[in-house]
Amino acid sequence: MKVSLNWLNDYVDLKDISTGEIVDSLTMSGLEVEDVVDQKEMYKNFIVGFVEKKEKHPNADRLSVCIVATGKESVSVICGARNVERGQKVVFAPVGTIIPKGNVELKKAKIRGVESSGMICAEDELLLSEDHSGIMVLDPKLKEGTPIVDALNLDDVLMEIAITPNRPDALSHLGVARDLSAIFKKDLHLPKINLKESNIDINDTASIEIADEKNCPRYSSLVVLDVKVDDSPDWLKNKISSIGLRPINNIVDITNYVMYETGQPLHAFDLDRLNGKKIIVKSTKRKSEFTTLDSKERELLRDTLMICDAEKDVAIAGVMGGENSEIYYDTKNVLIESAYFDPSSIRKTSKYMQLSTDASYRFERGTDPNNTLFAAERTAALIGEIADGKIAKGSIDVYPKMIEERIVKFRLRRLNKILGFNVSAEDSIQIFEKLGFGVKQLANEELKVTVPTYRPDIEQEVDLIEEIARISGYHNVPTIPRISITLDTKHDETVLTNNVRDFSNALGLSEIINNPLQPELLAKSTGDAVKLSNPLSMDMAYLRTSLLPGALSVVARNLNRGEKNLSLFEIGNVFNLKEDKSDINSFDDFDEEEKIIFILSGKKVERDWFSDTKEYDFYDLKGIVNSFLSKISLDNLLNDSYYSIYNNIYEFYLTKNFKDREVGLGGKIRSDVLKKFDIEQNVYCFEFNFSELKQIPVIQNKYSEPLKYPKVFRDFAFVFDKTVLFDDVRNFIQVKSSKLLKNVNVFDIFESKELGQNKRSMAFELEYFDMDRTLTEEEVEKDFEKLIKLVSKQFNAKLRGN
Amino acid sequence: MLTDNITRVKKDFSKDIADVKDIGDLEEIRIKYLGRNGIISKLFDQLKDVPKDDKPAVGKELNLLRINVTSQFEKLQTSLASEKDEKESKVDLTLPGKKYQIGSKHILTQTLDEMKSIFKGMGFSIHEGPELESDYYNFEALNFPHDHPARDMQDTFFINEDFLLRTHTSPVQIRLMENMKPPVRAIMPGRVYRNEAVSARSYCMFHQVEGLYVDTDVTFAELKGTLVAFAHQYYGKDLKYRFRPSFFPFTEPSAEMDITCFMCKGEGCNICKYTGWLEILGCGMVHPNVFKSVNYDSEKYTGYAFGMGIERIAMLKYGITDIRIFFENDFRFLKQF
Repeated sequence: MKVSLNWLNDYVDLKDISTGEIVDSLTMSGLEVEDVVDQKEMYKNFIVGFVEKKEKHPNADRLSVCIVATGKESVSVICGARNVERGQKVVFAPVGTIIPKGNVELKKAKIRGVESSGMICAEDELLLSEDHSGIMVLDPKLKEGTPIVDALNLDDVLMEIAITPNRPDALSHLGVARDLSAIFKKDLHLPKINLKESNIDINDTASIEIADEKNCPRYSSLVVLDVKVDDSPDWLKNKISSIGLRPINNIVDITNYVMYETGQPLHAFDLDRLNGKKIIVKSTKRKSEFTTLDSKERELLRDTLMICDAEKDVAIAGVMGGENSEIYYDTKNVLIESAYFDPSSIRKTSKYMQLSTDASYRFERGTDPNNTLFAAERTAALIGEIADGKIAKGSIDVYPKMIEERIVKFRLRRLNKILGFNVSAEDSIQIFEKLGFGVKQLANEELKVTVPTYRPDIEQEVDLIEEIARISGYHNVPTIPRISITLDTKHDETVLTNNVRDFSNALGLSEIINNPLQPELLAKSTGDAVKLSNPLSMDMAYLRTSLLPGALSVVARNLNRGEKNLSLFEIGNVFNLKEDKSDINSFDDFDEEEKIIFILSGKKVERDWFSDTKEYDFYDLKGIVNSFLSKISLDNLLNDSYYSIYNNIYEFYLTKNFKDREVGLGGKIRSDVLKKFDIEQNVYCFEFNFSELKQIPVIQNKYSEPLKYPKVFRDFAFVFDKTVLFDDVRNFIQVKSSKLLKNVNVFDIFESKELGQNKRSMAFELEYFDMDRTLTEEEVEKDFEKLIKLVSKQFNAKLRGN
Repeated sequence: MLTDNITRVKKDFSKDIADVKDIGDLEEIRIKYLGRNGIISKLFDQLKDVPKDDKPAVGKELNLLRINVTSQFEKLQTSLASEKDEKESKVDLTLPGKKYQIGSKHILTQTLDEMKSIFKGMGFSIHEGPELESDYYNFEALNFPHDHPARDMQDTFFINEDFLLRTHTSPVQIRLMENMKPPVRAIMPGRVYRNEAVSARSYCMFHQVEGLYVDTDVTFAELKGTLVAFAHQYYGKDLKYRFRPSFFPFTEPSAEMDITCFMCKGEGCNICKYTGWLEILGCGMVHPNVFKSVNYDSEKYTGYAFGMGIERIAMLKYGITDIRIFFENDFRFLKQF
């Protein structure tokens, strides 16, 4: 909210306090000042100029060349505004002036061949309004050379304050002034109301009825007759335009002024346009339509609180008035509405209609139910004075059930327990009183605090404690230099995940982090995806069901940017609806699981002096997966299954299984899948269900003594049919060999014309040892010879090298 | 006299060895001095003519000469040999080393790791919670009533009326307190979502670290001490800080912590929007209504909570000006850290 320092000074005397100190104090007491405009500083170079001469620009139809007298000299200025005329007094910015709009320094320039030394300004360039329809034309009595600061009384300081949702009271100048009076220990002066009532009884002019007391607990009204609707006087125009409002007419301007003064939203009805001169506050019974004063037809939900006359709707309560009852230039009689509406009712309406107004913003945060009459009287008094109206005698104030002030107990002991420092009873009482709270001191350092209804945020003791803390300043709370640490067990649920990141790094993989929000096509390609009800865009309407689509998008993006050799991993959550579920009604209806994915694409080894280029292949992926598993001690607990059958994502793939459950899957991505991502090189991915891996009980690693006796190695190579799988041969060897054979490694595989079609050679190294003794050559040789025979026979293989 | 001879031989040897140019020269010297019939051998022969009383002293001197000559000879021999090796070797040691690829953690992970280690040192546990949350955990239990404007502070992605993508890591506070009795001291890192237009400054998804400490005597003063210690360790000892009152439904009193802008050292620049301050976190004392929703006695226990955005902190620390770059996963970006 924009707040004017001059305006604040109407209620609390701040003249002896520097702007800097005021701004700082507000920020440090919870009303954060986000921006400050010191007009004296901002407008210091602008002066009144006199347009001595105006000629058409020789090279441009829309531009004029003006000679402007500045009091010291006459300079030539190019002006593009249509309303510039000889003899006008204007706002003139000499060369070197910083123009507030855009914060740019004005330089001498040649515009279409003619020199321009300065600028004649429009309101928007000065940030006085958004008006750029023409230059500002000033009072002809002003003398050229007069600083604009003096000529237009631009001596204010305007602050943009971010008001948190708990402080509706601070959405007004009086509210901000009240905080300042507490901070600087100064008196707060409420505006004096000079209500000159006529002898016409208000009850003879209008009547009011509340049909929905729950949503409208109070409706206060005054009536002003025979008003003259006109432009507002300058002081009022200046005041409301200083905080960024557009002056409309005196009646509307006064209601806005009083709202920004007191925080109470007001509405003025043209009384003669209210059928039956009657106001009825009630909720709609069915869906309907209503045209608001911005001439827009709006749909109303059932149970929308409305202001009605005897026959029709005239305003959406607390949100916006209707076109059918708004003030016109010929309005004579005015009914002032000053009501208290239930915050959540207004919020529902405003949300549903996507219509947030100054009024609804305040009502939904909570206005003061006990200030409606004051605000109505203030408004009536000003309308009487400014619009020359006759104020009807009395008021109509429908308030069936008084909303009482809250009484909250405050213990100094409790303040100390929460803040960790002491505040005296006197200081606390002073702060409460300056904030307008009633205080009664009880025994035992306890206070009974009566909270005014303009502070709906103060509900309990801790809220009072915050008031003391923020007004005395958080900097007064000590910053203690030591803490105690409890000796209970500390958990770190992220340890395994951290380790896995380290292992992945060691395996050469770099971590990526993707946005889990995806388009439907991607999310549904890998699972049963959860849909957002209010997505930002269709590209981000679903939650990912797998890390794979995101990974492929990253590969594609990198290829596009010339990064072709990629080894990546990601750890993140994926979301899947459970079978047979289409919506989420409980946490049992979906799975949120942590997954880890490894991604390889491009060259493992680039062309270099020591080696030829090598592409990543399936065996790199498999090796990484197995190394990873061995680091988390799961390598011996999981089994592999291999598939070359049809799969919609993989050309061929491997699964890792715990008992009969698949916990990981990956392989070579099909080229038609890659094509959809515009990827033209092979990609290998493996995805583990990390949540499930974490569930597998791992046997604690125990020390085992290193082998003390020598190993014995034997090699053999066979020519097999190509259909014979390595795994089958290895398993066969392991089953048939003596227990002394501990490992079978394949160390050479090749095919050639000499071997024949559909044949390949596989060479094995057999590793023999015993933990307890040295082996003899004979026993190894015996087993080796036996294996040669068995393998030859079993696989119809031919021993090579013989 | 033998002693004179020894002195002369010393001199001659120094001269001879200085003239050595290659292994051949050196071999000649070896024969001349150390050979079976070499000069030193002959000197030893003369020892028998030395008077008995002088023998030990002269013998000692002679021995020293032999040791000295031998060691100088060997030293030169080694250096000539390696010179020869180098000239004859074909190894080009200037070729580049072979590449060993090591991966890197995402910079957000690294930032979080650093923060975690600081808080672990202060006795905090680390816990996690789900991203797809219920309205109850994300809002209601945290004292955000339905239809309250406080909900507008966090634009929310909804799945339906009761489920949503968590807008902050604070729901993990509730889950943690539901499952344990005080003392509770933990940080809770994780991913959060906001329904905000994507720009250089904001993204619809980011990461937070939540902190919570509940015990019998936890005060705002301790909260300040803890966070100042964190900031000093993370940003450096000489930073200035301030705590400003703020509003979060689940804490009361609430505060935001600012530190001096480290780009401009508080002078004012476009990073700190010319205020000289950077907001780094929100914090406060746990609201009694929050304790109520987890059945903690708020008369007995007090607690503090805080939360900070990891992206923001990483952006400030590494001078990253566009938040979207974190999630583009450009390999060149990933490799920088």
